[in-house]
Amino acid sequence: MIWLTWRQFRTQAQVALAAVLLLGTYLVLLGLQIRSRHHSVLAQCRSHGNCPGLLASFTSEFQLQVSLLGYVLLIVPGVLGMFWGAPLITRELELGTHRLVWNQSVTRGRWLAAKLGIVGLSSMAAAGVLSLLLTWAASPFDQVEADRFSPSLFAARNIAPVGYAAFACALGVTLGLLVRRTLPAMALAMVLFTVVQIVVPNLIRPNLAAPVGSSVRLTSSELSTLNFLGQYGTVGGLKVPSGDWVVSTSPMLNAAGANVGHTAMYAGCIDNSVQSAMLACLSRANLHVDLTVQPARRYWSFQWYETGLFALATAVLVGLSYWRIRGRLA
Amino acid sequence: MTPGTPVLEARALSKRYGRRQALTDCDLTVPRGRVVGLVGPNGAGKSTLLQLACGLIAPTSGSIRVLGARPAADAAHLAKVGFVAQDTPVYAGLTVGEHLRMGARLNPAWDAALAERRIERIGLDPVQKAGRLSGGQRAQLALTVAAAKRPELLIFDEPAAALDPLARRGFLENLMEFVADLGASAVLSSHLLADVERVCDYLIVLSGARVQVAGTVQELLAGHYRFSGGSGSGSGTGGGIDSGGSLPPGVQVIAAERTRGGSTLVVRVDDPRPPVGWSVEPVDLEELVLAYMTRAGLPAARSASTVPGVPR
Repeated sequence: MIWLTWRQFRTQAQVALAAVLLLGTYLVLLGLQIRSRHHSVLAQCRSHGNCPGLLASFTSEFQLQVSLLGYVLLIVPGVLGMFWGAPLITRELELGTHRLVWNQSVTRGRWLAAKLGIVGLSSMAAAGVLSLLLTWAASPFDQVEADRFSPSLFAARNIAPVGYAAFACALGVTLGLLVRRTLPAMALAMVLFTVVQIVVPNLIRPNLAAPVGSSVRLTSSELSTLNFLGQYGTVGGLKVPSGDWVVSTSPMLNAAGANVGHTAMYAGCIDNSVQSAMLACLSRANLHVDLTVQPARRYWSFQWYETGLFALATAVLVGLSYWRIRGRLA
Repeated sequence: MTPGTPVLEARALSKRYGRRQALTDCDLTVPRGRVVGLVGPNGAGKSTLLQLACGLIAPTSGSIRVLGARPAADAAHLAKVGFVAQDTPVYAGLTVGEHLRMGARLNPAWDAALAERRIERIGLDPVQKAGRLSGGQRAQLALTVAAAKRPELLIFDEPAAALDPLARRGFLENLMEFVADLGASAVLSSHLLADVERVCDYLIVLSGARVQVAGTVQELLAGHYRFSGGSGSGSGTGGGIDSGGSLPPGVQVIAAERTRGGSTLVVRVDDPRPPVGWSVEPVDLEELVLAYMTRAGLPAARSASTVPGVPR
């Protein structure tokens, strides 16, 4: 059974292997480049000082490549689920070859197990290798940025992508067995995987452990990390130096804990057309925000929780397809 | 398993697809060592019955046992039944040789020598992709894969339907050789009676989702006659035993046709002595099958109960 599955999967596996080798080579080269730049930046900052400025130029140099690669790694499991998972059984059903193979002396359960095993493990390996290489390549960068807990980085480093790959593959197979047509199953697999990748970091991951409350004074350095400043004091994108994942942020509060969004002071500050003047104005007002965070030390627990969650979902999907193929399918 | 276990045993077997009844209350007992022909018009339920027999689909109600067990019960049972599906599916991307390798890998009792010998005799090139084979060659390959696992029962679902007459003859000859080689039983469905007549010694007529009649060819021919005459008394409906008032009990009218001189009836009877006023002639297989199919097509007969198998 393993021979037949491998024989059917061979071409796809070779294509994937070539793609992984290509991307992997690039990641290794990038990693070496990042390391050598990081070394020279550190050396420079030891001899000349001005470390924050030098490190900022170092991260901005690789920002684009590293974040693009992160997005690639987010997509890879979905693509594998779509092109490997969904057609795995629907193609047999569409071409009628299931009527040939189901009448060999191998039960459908074993047939499904071999197929799922080989294709599932292959996609996990592909995602795992890429994730490992990206994690290694980007580690000096991630260390400087200190925000590896943020959703887009969290999902593209370490073991989480392996869980996504297993899940996406099982999702494709299960949808294929329910829809029984290749193209709709592929489309549906991609859509559902995307929905899951939006829902989990926004609704589920923040609550895997109870968030911790804290309060941060808005000095000019904190204010400069913001990527959103609302008209009425709402803020977004606040980064805290500890590397905690900021789950939620209150509007700007004054020393008494009241929202300053509707005060004349706030309106006066944000009326400044020069950004530095506006930030300076706000930093003088002694403002703070209340946060809920997932502390940086929970990073590895969260990697395991998330992977475990997706492993559980995978097991449920595999059970569903097993039940489906044994009982109901013609 | 005892030699007396029937190859196929169905009890009140029914299969429904949504609202369409594909098979209704089917009762069958097919003994071992037969080459069974399953005939009926398109859509009669032949494929459904065969797919139930090899476990590809599950019955809606009733039960079916093949070689004494539930179809496709486990790997050991799968090994005992060879199935060639309609349109003889093969993996287009795999070569002929790889199909044999697949068979060898997936079947513990695989007979590699038999498979290779057959492939050579048919003239298939082992390195050729199965997707490039002609319909006839593909059917031969599917047959070889099904037979080389050395099953006790071979099931063919319209295997020759898409083949031209020459390829069909070659295929059926090959099929018969396999059955003889393996000492297996075989069930073969077809809507072409000529195919069945050539190779089968047991017949099941399936029409209107019901089994109309089943039995060995010999018994069927010995139990059915054409009665002619009965001027004025034969009924044209062919609905039942009461259609000919002058017919004695024990004579069942399968089909009736009004002719100039009176009526021609195809009847089922144990004793071929005709009643007064009728002449009796033997029927051939085609006439017999057509009579049952015609009866199944009549509205009155759709609800009629299944005819039990002729006494053996």
